[in-house]
Amino acid sequence: MKIKVTSIYVDDQDKALRFYTEVLGFAKKTDFSQSPYRWLTVASSEEPDGTELQLALNNNPAAKAYQQAIFQQGQPATMFFTDDVKGDYERIKARGAEFTMQPTDVTGSTIAMLKDTCGNLIQITQLKSW
Amino acid sequence: MTNLERYTPGPASGAQIRKDGEKWTLILVRELRHSREKIWEALTDPAHLREWAPFDADGSLGTVGTTVKLTTVGAPVPHVTETTVTRADAPKVLEYKWGGFNMRWELEDLGGGTRLTLWTNIGHRFISMGAAGWHICFDVLDHLLSGTPIGRIVGPEATKFGDWQRLNAEYAKQFGIETPNWPPKAAQNS
Repeated sequence: MKIKVTSIYVDDQDKALRFYTEVLGFAKKTDFSQSPYRWLTVASSEEPDGTELQLALNNNPAAKAYQQAIFQQGQPATMFFTDDVKGDYERIKARGAEFTMQPTDVTGSTIAMLKDTCGNLIQITQLKSW
Repeated sequence: MTNLERYTPGPASGAQIRKDGEKWTLILVRELRHSREKIWEALTDPAHLREWAPFDADGSLGTVGTTVKLTTVGAPVPHVTETTVTRADAPKVLEYKWGGFNMRWELEDLGGGTRLTLWTNIGHRFISMGAAGWHICFDVLDHLLSGTPIGRIVGPEATKFGDWQRLNAEYAKQFGIETPNWPPKAAQNS
């Protein structure tokens, strides 16, 4: 078994695809549809065959309640790792994203948090070298 | 030979698309030799739907205001959506949503037979696939109501079916769009 894909719920898949590619800088990986179901994933352009992030349409009331609750608590729905959190912060901010936390030192890492415009907070993490 | 082995879908026909910006509507028309009442039952009754439709329903779609769970057959992860029937004028007009798609069915009397029209707003990159899928579903429905059932052909069963690929290409050509990349690369490699 391999961990090949992880999922995030989004309220609009087209809007999410724009945000995750044009603002965050990921690349579209797979996009196909069966009837009303659409399987849509992105991957990092630094690692095209790496783990994919599925942008799953949130049309499920239970998932919606969960998504809203963790958003209101300020918890990220997922996190990405970088070697340069300050550089990514400047780059992503310049493309119009709204950060709820500037790069901040915490135990073991520096983190920043932004809104993905699709109902989620996203954390960007740079691990400290020890 | 079984009824299924004898079955070959005809050429792409009876489909149009209407473009309203990003929103495209697929319109499929099929003339059937069956009465509107018979077709209405096949469009609304869960036991009939299971024999031909690309989704299962956990209740009848024949009453306005009813909430029904629709399960997409063969989706890559379990896909269940709840719908409320917004119009059910038996045996003429039926409207509900399937996931994000509007579904409008119209049944016109042709003196014993019926002209069946479906309007549905499939995402435009997948609209030829939708037309190919519904084409086969309508054939399966026709066989079912004629008493020569060939069994439901939906989801992976449809895409494995050689004629589905042909219909997809024919409809894409008729609509003036590119054939979507199908099957996706990952599936081709396995």
